[in-house]
Amino acid sequence: MLSSARSDRRATAILAVLIAAVTLALGLAACGGGAGGGNGGETTVAEGGKAEGELVFSNWPGYIDPGKNGTIAEFEDKTGIKVDYIEDINSNDSFFGKLQPQLEQGQSGGRSLFVVADYMAEQMHDLGYLQEIEKDDLPTVFENILPSLKSPEFDPERKFSVPWQGGMTGIWVDTSKAPEIKSVNDLFDPKYKGKVTMLDELRETPALVMLAEGVDPAKASADEWLAAIDKIKSAADSGQIRRFTGNDYTEDLTAGNIVAAIGWSGDASLIENPNAEWRMPTEGCVRWSENMVIPVGAPNTAAAIAFMNFVYRPEVAADITEWVEYISPVDGVKPILEKNGSELAESEIVFPSDEFTRNCTGQNTPPELDQVNEAWQNVLTG
Amino acid sequence: MRSWKQRLVPYWLLGPGLLWLLFFFVVPMYFMGELALYSGSLTSGGFEFTWAWSNFPDALSGHTEQVVRSFFYAGTATVLCLLIGYPLAYAIAFRAGRYKTLLLFAVIAPFFTTYLIRTIAWKTILSDDSPVVSVLQTLSLTPEGGRVLATSGAVIAGLTYNFLPFMILPLYANLERLDMRLIEAAKDLYSSSRSAFLKVTLPLTMPGIVAGVLLTFIPAFGDYVNAQLLGGTGQAMIGNVIQSLYLNQRNYPEAAALSFLMMALILAIVIVYIRFAGTEAFMGDEDEEGA
Amino acid sequence: MSAPARAWAWVRRNALLIYAGLAVAYMLIPIAVIAVFSFGATPKDKLTFGLDNGFTTEYWRTMFSKPELNEALITSLRLALFATLIATAIGTAMAIALVRHRFRGKRLANLLIVIPMATPEVVIGASLLSMFIYYSFALGFTTLLIAHVMFSISFVVVVVRSRLIGFDRNIEEAAADLGAGPLTTFRTVTLPLLAPGVVSAALLAFALSIDDFVISNFNSGTTVTFPLYVYGVSLRGIPVQVNAIATLLFLLAVIAVGLVLFQQRRAEKMAAVQPEEEPGGPIPLPGTAAAQ
Repeated sequence: MLSSARSDRRATAILAVLIAAVTLALGLAACGGGAGGGNGGETTVAEGGKAEGELVFSNWPGYIDPGKNGTIAEFEDKTGIKVDYIEDINSNDSFFGKLQPQLEQGQSGGRSLFVVADYMAEQMHDLGYLQEIEKDDLPTVFENILPSLKSPEFDPERKFSVPWQGGMTGIWVDTSKAPEIKSVNDLFDPKYKGKVTMLDELRETPALVMLAEGVDPAKASADEWLAAIDKIKSAADSGQIRRFTGNDYTEDLTAGNIVAAIGWSGDASLIENPNAEWRMPTEGCVRWSENMVIPVGAPNTAAAIAFMNFVYRPEVAADITEWVEYISPVDGVKPILEKNGSELAESEIVFPSDEFTRNCTGQNTPPELDQVNEAWQNVLTG
Repeated sequence: MRSWKQRLVPYWLLGPGLLWLLFFFVVPMYFMGELALYSGSLTSGGFEFTWAWSNFPDALSGHTEQVVRSFFYAGTATVLCLLIGYPLAYAIAFRAGRYKTLLLFAVIAPFFTTYLIRTIAWKTILSDDSPVVSVLQTLSLTPEGGRVLATSGAVIAGLTYNFLPFMILPLYANLERLDMRLIEAAKDLYSSSRSAFLKVTLPLTMPGIVAGVLLTFIPAFGDYVNAQLLGGTGQAMIGNVIQSLYLNQRNYPEAAALSFLMMALILAIVIVYIRFAGTEAFMGDEDEEGA
Repeated sequence: MSAPARAWAWVRRNALLIYAGLAVAYMLIPIAVIAVFSFGATPKDKLTFGLDNGFTTEYWRTMFSKPELNEALITSLRLALFATLIATAIGTAMAIALVRHRFRGKRLANLLIVIPMATPEVVIGASLLSMFIYYSFALGFTTLLIAHVMFSISFVVVVVRSRLIGFDRNIEEAAADLGAGPLTTFRTVTLPLLAPGVVSAALLAFALSIDDFVISNFNSGTTVTFPLYVYGVSLRGIPVQVNAIATLLFLLAVIAVGLVLFQQRRAEKMAAVQPEEEPGGPIPLPGTAAAQ
């Protein structure tokens, strides 16, 4: 028995060394293939030209009017391009996480077009993962884009991003339980302890808290961000904030578990609570948009560009907005919806006036992002 | 004497599995291990291999609370699964007769509905105003603020519910081969069926219990979805932290380091547990014993 | 005996069955809720688990009306089927080797089995993805299959092994004494006696595969599985048809097994009357039909 135990251990050791050697060999071959880095500032410019062939387009779910009369079908009809429309984006971060290794190698997994938030477009561009588009290739876009969206801070010349739809982050209130909530500061009121939720987005929740304190998120220092995050942390620790959510705050509102939530303007269809209403916080909201971008390694940039132009025709944009109920980036959609007799035309949520959003800020990225983001994530995973 | 052909049999049997695990687990893990020694960040110039051993203590020191919490949640859930699952597995093995397979299917059938839908259903059942919660409130069983959701209890309940099949199936597999005549003999020997159970049935089914406990505790420890959907502030588990490090902070080195630490911790717990439960119950080295 | 005393005695005698029945009910509660809400109308046909809008069978009638949903479902079922077959075969073989045979490096192999279970899903998913990308392996059904088999093997091994341990070798030796070769013994004696363990392991592998989200998300490329679809649409509202399909899948699984049982009963009735079988015994002789 003794000898077999010893030889067993020796054999184990040999086998372990063998396995280690094999993996080392394979691993060394891959050395240096780690993550991050970008490709050194050289940005590819997307080729325009005759649009044909196949287009693979990744988008968020429920973000386009579907079916035989939908925009995709219309596009296919008019151009003869076959579109593979995949709704596989449900979070900027996890989409980035799964695409990053491919983008790092200059591949996009077959996609020529996808839709991500402002800050994610900025981040991808900085890492060299996006292609730039010539202004001349996008005549319809630049003709019809809303003036307020023409020159955002993260892409002043709209070189790599074209807005898809937009929305606002504000406060959803259950008017039968807490009708007096009008400001983000009200959410910290102890009488609502445990009945309030906040979004888990760094660029939305702390920004709203800063606005409520009179700080401009677009100009705030890292310390001011951290102070806002601290305030939220205390509220989380004390149980004031029930939890941090993605869009599942809609479930809590439907079930009556909460009286108020920080949430998105376009989520009405997900909340089956007749007393729930979206309110613009008194100090202002966060106004965001999501953008179409062309990644590196896109197989059919011409088709992608053609699609971008297509959806900026007001009739097409009107179809999309009517279904999706978010804010269209295209000028001239409101009159079309008015003509159709759609009640959306009157909605301030779908067509917010400049007056309505006068205090709103965009999706700002804090300075010293890594440090601030880490502090925020520690609050979320506390 | 065994022929050389006979001696090769175990290697043929093990071969495909070991190779599969080697190529599709060990090699990727090697990459991860390498990544744990990088430093830098995606946004500021990328990552570099710098033998950054400091990643390991850094990762752990920031998150000891979540590690302890995960141990507590997973442990409690495992015990509950055992308490609920053992009698059920026993009943299926010995009292179900021809309905065995049907009941086994009923045990895993909830998995067909995808985790998200099941959890939303539970959230509906356990929402603050539901009749179920009202009953619990009158029984003073609700933890804090008179609610069930967004509490530790909810997370543990979710873990228990979702990992029950992981406990029941190995228990059943082991229980089913138990010879009833041994049980009857035990009942004849001992005056109470309780002693018969404790002195005969339980030890005989130890391998099943060990397997069930491992299959439940280990994945539960690293779980993140239950805490994310059912928990509130202050219920995050170590799985949530790793998820956040990897996807939201894109701090790949720390995520990798923390993962390895977590794996090492679980292995340590497993080894201690196996010592305690008896190695034969886990490895069944029957060939070494010579019957 | 008075009535309550009799009732109490009845409860004590059947305590196990009652307890087990409660446990099964517990497992099926959410299914019941899901089924109920598949009949609830909602304003935009999105799942809200609210019952204010009345009853409808529309979602059952239009259950297969969404092509993306159908495709995702079929992909998931195919994937789970293949992954289960492969993982169960590989895992069972490993379990037999680990329990039955003497060989070098056993402890290491045992360790290698346990580690994947201990690894967080994000890490497995992300590291596999990086490897696939590095070796320019196209992402899609194949990579999903590889990943699913990989994480299932450990579970299969542990389940089958727990059944194998303490397995009475005498039966197999008896078969050998009667002249059966090792392969025949395996086929007619070992495998049937192993069957419940293998079936349990296969069920577990199937459940793991059909419900997997994180690892699939990383390694699917543009392929969509059922969980990926559901998580995806949950952002803008899960179509109520998903509830109907989930309920249907559950019913199908139960009905399928029910049919098999029905078949068995009929077969038994047609054959000669069989003596009542006690569970677990008597020990069947090798080579006979009762080796079940």
